[in-house]
Amino acid sequence: MRKPDKPFFFNTSEHLLRIGRQKATTLCELWQALQTCPDDSIFQHTFRTLQEHHFIRQGFSNDFAHWCISACNEPVLAEQLASVDVREFTAIEGLRRRMVGIVDEFLQTHPRSGSKAGHEPFYFCASDIVVLPTPFSPDSLPGFIDGLKQVSVHSIHHHFIEARLRLHLMSNDFSQWLEEETGLPQAADAIERIDIYTSTMEGVRQQIAAIVEQASN
Amino acid sequence: MKSQSQSEDQRATGTSATANSHTPAEAARNGAEIEPPEIDAPEPAPSEPSRGNGRPLPASVLTPPPPAPSPHLDDYRTIIGQAPLDALRFLARDLKGKSIKMVNSTAVGGGVAEMLNRLVPLLTELEVPTHWDVITGGNDFFEVTKAFHNALHGSSYELTKAAQEIFLMYNEQNRDRLQFGEEMVVIHDPQPVGLIRSRERTRASWVWRCHIDLSNPDAHVWEFLRPFVEQYDAAIFSSQSFARQLPIPQYLFYPCIDPLSEKNKELPDAVVQKICDEFGIDRSRPIVTQVSRFDRLKDPVGVVHAYKLAKKYVDCQLVLAGGGASDDPEGAAVLQEVKRAAGDDRDIIILDLPPWCALEINAIQRASTIVVQKSLKEGFGLTVTEALWKGKPTIAGAVGGIPNQIIHKLTGVLVHSVEGCAYQIRYLLTHPDFAKRIGTSGREHVKENFLMTTNVKRWLLLFRILERAKSRRGTGRSQ
Repeated sequence: MRKPDKPFFFNTSEHLLRIGRQKATTLCELWQALQTCPDDSIFQHTFRTLQEHHFIRQGFSNDFAHWCISACNEPVLAEQLASVDVREFTAIEGLRRRMVGIVDEFLQTHPRSGSKAGHEPFYFCASDIVVLPTPFSPDSLPGFIDGLKQVSVHSIHHHFIEARLRLHLMSNDFSQWLEEETGLPQAADAIERIDIYTSTMEGVRQQIAAIVEQASN
Repeated sequence: MKSQSQSEDQRATGTSATANSHTPAEAARNGAEIEPPEIDAPEPAPSEPSRGNGRPLPASVLTPPPPAPSPHLDDYRTIIGQAPLDALRFLARDLKGKSIKMVNSTAVGGGVAEMLNRLVPLLTELEVPTHWDVITGGNDFFEVTKAFHNALHGSSYELTKAAQEIFLMYNEQNRDRLQFGEEMVVIHDPQPVGLIRSRERTRASWVWRCHIDLSNPDAHVWEFLRPFVEQYDAAIFSSQSFARQLPIPQYLFYPCIDPLSEKNKELPDAVVQKICDEFGIDRSRPIVTQVSRFDRLKDPVGVVHAYKLAKKYVDCQLVLAGGGASDDPEGAAVLQEVKRAAGDDRDIIILDLPPWCALEINAIQRASTIVVQKSLKEGFGLTVTEALWKGKPTIAGAVGGIPNQIIHKLTGVLVHSVEGCAYQIRYLLTHPDFAKRIGTSGREHVKENFLMTTNVKRWLLLFRILERAKSRRGTGRSQ
């Protein structure tokens, strides 16, 4: 462990929800819209929805899966879509292909499900994003832990989950800083392995803090 | 957000007020006509409020309490934490010196005025001066806009040339009267939508905030209004499903509740107990509550049937707390239907409350074991928001904006029938751990999405986004 050369600047991102032009009333329409909707709609209904529902520990992973079960009563498809981990992707295009592929395969094996109307439409949305600073820019591990405990869960989401799309790396801002600035690669790896789908964002924060505290002792 | 129809009713009976001021209190000093504020569920005051099943209401609720002072931003710290307040201040920092104008059609009464009454001081406290103007018009104008309102909700309406001329004439009069020196102008609802014709004379970004459901409008009225809406820089709706296809960006702003209002603030248990005692509610046994007007669309009779089905298996009381039966013939008829359905069951407590009983509603919601909102049709459903905020396991009809609030089995339970409602009452009363879990998640959902502070954040975000867009395209218009 060494003293960091660069501080960690805790930022946060705030999102304003925009209502898109597309909507789907059937699974076929969902399949079509998934292929043509803007990237920021895919981002909204996968990455962003995790942030919006950060307080739920289980049962909510992305809006597409939720709609397939709640409006279309298709649990198989919903489970398959819900199993997609956004952290496996460093670009939206790959995530889009995965989602389209899952729906495509399901419709090929269940063709009659494609035209059955859901009991409410799926409205494609997107977000306008504003990145904001926070008062925290620590240049030591104790300061980092302190900042981590005080920033909002949106800041945790910004650095831990959204960072992939910014970095285009299978990593996150926390792990990057810990490895590059403090020489703690094991802590960086341990943070990267935290399961975001079985924990609230508050739980993720506590796990990260525990890992860094342990590594710094 | 409360339906606009009541405030339309009020305006239709007299000339509108003007409030070129920050708040309605200032509006009053400026000579505006001020009426008692409404709460979301009940309607204007009945002359002799009474407990629906016969006993008189306690004396403490017979007169309205004095208005509570507006909270300051720091008052919210204990509720939302420091970090979200920091975010609001960072968001506002880049907007310092820039100002907002809000324009609507009533200074008091109705959900929009209630919301602006809290929003405007908070934005101003963040050093984003926000001015609130109210358009003026005669009875003829407000009769037309009331008809437009109903038509936009789907009622059939014959749009005459005369109605169009009245609408346009008053919008032109208000255009001549109002100044638009701010950087963002927000026009609320259809009544003042024609003010957009002043856009070219200003440097402002213009936003149309539509609080009503446009999913199924009368085609003629919408085609008349649409050319105005399309001239705005952005439109805002309260739900994805309320929006229309438009060539301008459309944003989603959920309606919100104020956690520091009489209706939603924390209450000492002694206060809750006292109010329950006054109404004859037994806190030692499970309490199932629906808070709503006596309106068929809220299905209070269905709630009584659901309660009776559930009561075969579990002990509970049912509280139906609302208003609207004393001044509204249909409300009175619905109240009679509810009483008939209740029969002589002493565990059904029907309360026809005056409109100022926000504190009592708060206490009843807090005392409840389960809250039900079994609406058949709904706007956003702020009574659901209130229940979720109090951490109550909530059962609600899957209509209007309710599915935005209740994620089935995660933040509450959605139902589609009396039988479904009855089953969920039984289930929640016999599975307290699950009930507690969804109640906790429901409160977090409200904290994240449906509080006044989130509403402030959305306005600041929108302002920044529009300012950024304006600077990208050059200042464009000039005065």
